[in-house]
Amino acid sequence: MELQPLYIQILALVIFAIGIIVAVARRNLFFVLMGVELALNAVNLSFVGFAKTLPAEASVTGQIVPLFSIAVAAAEACVGFAMVIMIFRNKESVDADSYSDMKG
Amino acid sequence: MTHLPLWFIPLFPLIGTILLGTIAVVSSGAKKGPSEGLVGTLAVLFPALSFAVVAILACSMPEAGFRETLCNWIDIPLFRADIGFLFDGLSRIMLLFVTGIGSLIAMYSIGYMHGDRGFARFFAYINLFLFSMVVLVLADSLLLTFLGWEGVGLCSYLLIGFWNQDIKNCKAANKAFIVNRVGDIGFLLGMLTLVTIGGSSLLNYDGLAAFINMVIGAGEVVELVLPLSLAGLLFFIGCTGKSAQIPLLTWLPDAMAGPTPVSALIHAATMVTSGVYLLARLSMMFCLLEHVLLIIVFVGMFTALWAAIAGLLQNDIKKVLAYSTISQLGYMFMAAGVCAFDASIFHVFTHAFFKAALFLGAGAVIHSLAGEQDMRRMGGLINKTPVTACVMIFAFLAIVGFPGFAGFWSKDLILERIFVSGPILGPIVYVVGLATAVITAVYMGRLIIMTFFGKYRGDKETEEHIHEAPAVMLFPMVILAFGAIFSGYLWADSIGLTFFRDSMASVVGQAQALYLAANPAAHVNPVIFAALGTLAALGGMYIAWKVFSRARIIGVKGASTVPEGSAASWTFLWDYIHCAFIAVVNILAWFCDVVVEKVLQAIQWTIAAIVEILGDGASILQVRKVRLQLSFSVAGVALLVMLVIFSGGLV
Repeated sequence: MELQPLYIQILALVIFAIGIIVAVARRNLFFVLMGVELALNAVNLSFVGFAKTLPAEASVTGQIVPLFSIAVAAAEACVGFAMVIMIFRNKESVDADSYSDMKG
Repeated sequence: MTHLPLWFIPLFPLIGTILLGTIAVVSSGAKKGPSEGLVGTLAVLFPALSFAVVAILACSMPEAGFRETLCNWIDIPLFRADIGFLFDGLSRIMLLFVTGIGSLIAMYSIGYMHGDRGFARFFAYINLFLFSMVVLVLADSLLLTFLGWEGVGLCSYLLIGFWNQDIKNCKAANKAFIVNRVGDIGFLLGMLTLVTIGGSSLLNYDGLAAFINMVIGAGEVVELVLPLSLAGLLFFIGCTGKSAQIPLLTWLPDAMAGPTPVSALIHAATMVTSGVYLLARLSMMFCLLEHVLLIIVFVGMFTALWAAIAGLLQNDIKKVLAYSTISQLGYMFMAAGVCAFDASIFHVFTHAFFKAALFLGAGAVIHSLAGEQDMRRMGGLINKTPVTACVMIFAFLAIVGFPGFAGFWSKDLILERIFVSGPILGPIVYVVGLATAVITAVYMGRLIIMTFFGKYRGDKETEEHIHEAPAVMLFPMVILAFGAIFSGYLWADSIGLTFFRDSMASVVGQAQALYLAANPAAHVNPVIFAALGTLAALGGMYIAWKVFSRARIIGVKGASTVPEGSAASWTFLWDYIHCAFIAVVNILAWFCDVVVEKVLQAIQWTIAAIVEILGDGASILQVRKVRLQLSFSVAGVALLVMLVIFSGGLV
């Protein structure tokens, strides 16, 4: 049986939801960042899934965009982890709730 | 190009300004000022070079004049202006005496300003003034003229307040600047009106003349008279400011606070005549505007009469001369008002000589009396300063119109032109003008008698120190005295010399012919006018002799030279009227301040307060937990997406 695009979307939605929930619910900053990455990759998956619905020559676009976003995500992860490490050195804690110095 | 470039003329004073300004700035911190010999040489050299260029150009000038466009100045859609120079019969005469008398007065100032701390600064200003004045006169468009117009205003301000340690001088400078500013608004609006009528090409003098010719050719004068009258009136307001006519004349007597050479150069010979120059430049436009011309005649007439009477009441020797300048300017405007532009420029020319000589003479008197300006404490100086006395007496004979002297020819010409200009109006204005001539002779005679004749009325101590001015001051005075005697012979109608009229004909001839065609002049024998003018001068001198040589003038002790009683109310009449206007404006300003601004501010504050309260409420939602905020934002996005979906999509 041909893989239905709808299932891909459902899978992407599930992964996205898991990512967001992890990002919101976990207090450990590393898990928060992992959740964010997960949500990002779910979006990439959704892109590819939609690309499948298009005719072959147009679908290439949908497959290229995730490549870009993976590169951007890698850069973002670098920066994000660097920041977390810097904050960790100051705070001696990876608890997201203890980072509330900006008095928002 | 076969002739010298025109931009040489303003270039030299500009170099002088820069050099002298540098010297002044560099030496300002030093204990001892810069060498007066060096500064004085530079200060005279550059105006003199400029004068030499003008003289060479003046000799080789063709009938139509030189035109030279230097570069483009402003080039935007709908507006274009060039920096260009125009050297024709009118600017030739003006430039000759501006640079010539300017050089002479710079030379005189070397003696007068000797020992002053701001020696270099003074001459930097003088050179800057000459530069601006040359630009004003030489410009080929109203816009560039306006640049010079503002420049001379600035220099006038700087030089009136030259001795700025005294608050009175600073106030006089401010007054001159601000009153001139009122006139300048007229000039600006006039330019704007012209641009509105026919585009930016009308700002060019040649362009304006071509436009007027085209209008006359097409027979559309009637439709355009109204907007052109508006422009003319606005320009005339500008002229009243610069040339101290009613109602903007109060600054000139106060401007006497400056050093006397400044009064001679700026407030007698050159700058104050730029209003007359502008009228002559725009003669093609003004000759069509009968109503504006009528206003000019009456303004000139009242100014001449009022200032002459005010001059009679002054005790300060410089104030007398200031009022006499205003009065003579009134004559020039009267002449311009009957479209006798060549006669009015001729009077500008002769007036420059004799008034500069009078001011320089007054300066020499003040110099020899160690700063005394009150005529009640002078007297008998003819024995002690004979050269100064002779110069001033010659200039006096010129200003009252004694036969053969410069003022005789020019003033008679003006009065004659006024008389023949109209059947009813002409004689009325003529009679007032003649009466003014009598009063002129009276107050000038009073000045001469109080200063040079009778007994010395000051204290003994200063009497011993009275001395003749140094040669560097006497030389320019003597030259100007010769000018006061002989400059009238450039246009002596009765003996057939018309050189001046011919040289002006290419500029104002057409306008005057147009006016004469509309208002034919009656022919009257000029000898009658000459006789009446002579009679007025002699009568005035006789009255002055009768009244003031016998009158016992009490040598006053007080420091004030301000006239008292009814004399004061006459002298300060226009100041009072200005005060009334200022009071009205103050009330308006108060209204704006209290009602408009306060009300607007209340509304502003109310809105600001409401927004602040709302903001405070909204900021409660922002919590300090990062994760909760993230949850809120995800929930918000979800909410928005659902809203979009359930409301039927984006499309």
